[in-house]
Order: sequence, then C-alpha cells, then structure tokens
Amino acid sequence: MQQVITAFVCESLPPGSPHRKLDENTSLLESGIIDSTGVLELVQFLEGRFGVTVEDSELVPENLDSISRICSYLRRKGITSAEGAARPRAEDEYAAPRLPS
Amino acid sequence: MDFPRNALAIDPSTEAERIADFIREQVLARYRRKGVVVGLSGGVDSALVAALAVRALGAGRVLGLMLPEKESSPVSTPYALEQAQALGIEALHIDLTPVLSALGVYEQKARVITRICPVYNPDTDRTKITLPPNLLRRDGLNVYSLTVEKPDGSRLSCRLGPEDFRALAAAQNMKQRSRMIQLYLHAERLHYAVCGTTNRPEFDQGFFVKHGDGAVDLEPICHLYKGQVFALARHLGVTANILKRTPSPDTWSGGVSDEEFFFRMPYEQLDGLLCAWNGGATSQEAASALGLEPEQTARAFRELEARKRASWHLRTAPPSLLAAEPAAVCP
Repeated sequence: MQQVITAFVCESLPPGSPHRKLDENTSLLESGIIDSTGVLELVQFLEGRFGVTVEDSELVPENLDSISRICSYLRRKGITSAEGAARPRAEDEYAAPRLPS
Repeated sequence: MDFPRNALAIDPSTEAERIADFIREQVLARYRRKGVVVGLSGGVDSALVAALAVRALGAGRVLGLMLPEKESSPVSTPYALEQAQALGIEALHIDLTPVLSALGVYEQKARVITRICPVYNPDTDRTKITLPPNLLRRDGLNVYSLTVEKPDGSRLSCRLGPEDFRALAAAQNMKQRSRMIQLYLHAERLHYAVCGTTNRPEFDQGFFVKHGDGAVDLEPICHLYKGQVFALARHLGVTANILKRTPSPDTWSGGVSDEEFFFRMPYEQLDGLLCAWNGGATSQEAASALGLEPEQTARAFRELEARKRASWHLRTAPPSLLAAEPAAVCP
C-alpha cells in the first residue's frame, strides 16, 4: 500500500523535482509537494484506487499530510493491502449531489 | 519579535496623501500618461482607488469602467455608478455577457456543472464554489465544493474533483481577463494608465487572476490590509452602500464572500495574522497579540505560507534567461 501511494505522489511530481526523494513522514503540504489542486488529485486517487469514500470531515492534514498518515488513514478505513476494499471507481464517475449537513 | 497590537493602524490623511503622490509620480512622470482607468466593481477596493486617483489627478483625468456580466450581483453596477457620481468622474457601463458568451464561458461552466449535478438548470439556478469554513476553528484541507441553488431555495452541494475545479476556474478567470482587455482598450485610447485595485491580502496570497485583474500599470493599494482599505475609504467618503457591502469576488451567481471563496476566515482576523506573519512573529506572539490560541495561529501561518508559495508565479515576471545574458557591448 505504501509503495502504491509513494508511486502516485512521485508520479504526480514533475521530473527533476527536489521532492522526488521524499520519505514517508515528509509533510506533503508544508513541503509544497501538493497544493490545493494536488489535494483534489490525491483524494481522487485514493477513492479510485482503494475504493474508499473520503468524507468531508476526513479532509484534514492529520489524515493526508504524509505517506505514513495516508497509510494509517486507509488502515482505519479497513484497507490493509494495495488491492483496496472494492472495485476502483471509474474516472468519470462522480459523487452524487447531496444535501449539505 | 513582539507583534505590536497597533501594527495595522494608519493615519488616513497622511496615507491618502502618500498614495496620491505615488499615483501622480507613476502616471504623470514615469508612465507619462494623461490619467487613469479604474475598473469599478461596486466594491470597496476599486471605490477607494478611484477616490485616490481623483485626489491625485483630478476627476477629469479618471475614467471608471463598470464591467458586469450576467452572474454579477445586481447591486454591483448601481453601487459603482453611485460612487462614480459622488466622485464626479466619467463612468462607462459595458455589459460583458455577450463577450463571455462568445468565449464559451457560460457554456463551459454549464457543461461541467451539469455533469456533476444533472438537475442543474443554467437558466434558473444559482451557483457558487466554496472552501470549508472557519479555518481557525477547525483544521481542514482546501477542497472546493460546488453549491447549486434552485429557484425554490433548495440547495445541492458536491465536492469538486481536480478536473472539474480546474475547468471551472479556467472558465471563470476569463471574466477578469475580459475586463482587463476593456480596461486597456480605453486606457490606450485615452493615453491613460490602468490602475489596479489589488490589496495586500489579495496580493500576498495570490487572490487575483494572472493577466486578469493582476495585469495593470500600477497598484496603489497593494500595500494596504483590508481594514486599512476600509479606514481610508471611510476617510475619503466612499459611499455607505459600498462600505457596508461584504467583500466578494462577484463572479458566481450564487453570491460568495471572499472568506467563503478563498480566505476561510474573516478579514478582521486575516489582517492581523497576515501582518504578524509578514513581520516574522511566531505563532505564540501572534496568538498573544490577537487573542487566539497558538494552535490556531500556527494553523493559519501554515495556510498563509502555503498559499504564498503556491502563488509565486502571479507576482513575478515570467522566468527567462535574460538576466544570464552578458551585457551588450556596443561596437
């Protein structure tokens, strides 16, 4: 699972980026590796690759700010391997509109 | 350092004169232009800039342009016109809706929104995008949500994916870029300069559009925090309607404030935090001065730093190898 996430983060970075040798505890936000649209890419990747639903309340640095935090978050969601929990979500499949809480 | 509580205090009279001197120097001496064009949005920043330009150059050398489109607030043009009349400046009204329609702005937006929310009706529904509220109370990442409001007041909300967000932002940014084209059309016609209206939080944090409202000849108020903008606007007699209006980008039909759309905190708090951060205060010092918890100021500082870092390209000329070229030597 960690390898898959690391590969995604590294592939999202431009070639030659000084961040490409990041470690599992590197802060993705503070190091500038992911910006606001990078967060959207990351969430889309996690939902598509691991079949989880990232709730709005879970969109916090504690869950997504480093590779190790992402792994811990996924484990708490019941994901224990790179295979994920369910089928990957199709790229053109969007969350249904919902009433605000 | 000890962040001073009065760091944001200004003497409006002195500051108005300082900025008026700056405008005169830039427009007349440096650019050698006859006057300035200011885009009047009906908000406080552009109203203040117009008032300062009048103080610097006289009403006869200031042209206001009102450039609304069909998704602008219905009060924007009346407020802008009222301000222009109070200043005694000429003001032209140009509805940008046909231009934006021809550019496909509304069509592109509708296509994206309909895909996300199939019940969306572009002819009747209002839309906006927002970030999670209240960063100081609760940590959270900058993930935008789209809200569609039906005529009966019911609302549908959906988190945006990266492609949809970028498609919407790209379409929306054509509004500011179309305004820039109009501003320069009239500036060049009159041999005027284009006066920008970006303030300090917007400039520092990248809350403007590259080659849109960021494309101007001079920025007379980009050193002023928002509270200072209001103080100066009150001093110069900006109209009450504009002074009481909630700051907004005014580009979404659903009506969205700067706080909801970008900053995630009220300007009253943002000004102090940004001023403290720019001055090198620690989160502890800022917390003590601003009456916040250190955890809140630390979170805010992280956000301010991230936004400034991500928006560096908005504030610089395009990188090039010119500086590395050897100095020209005349034969």
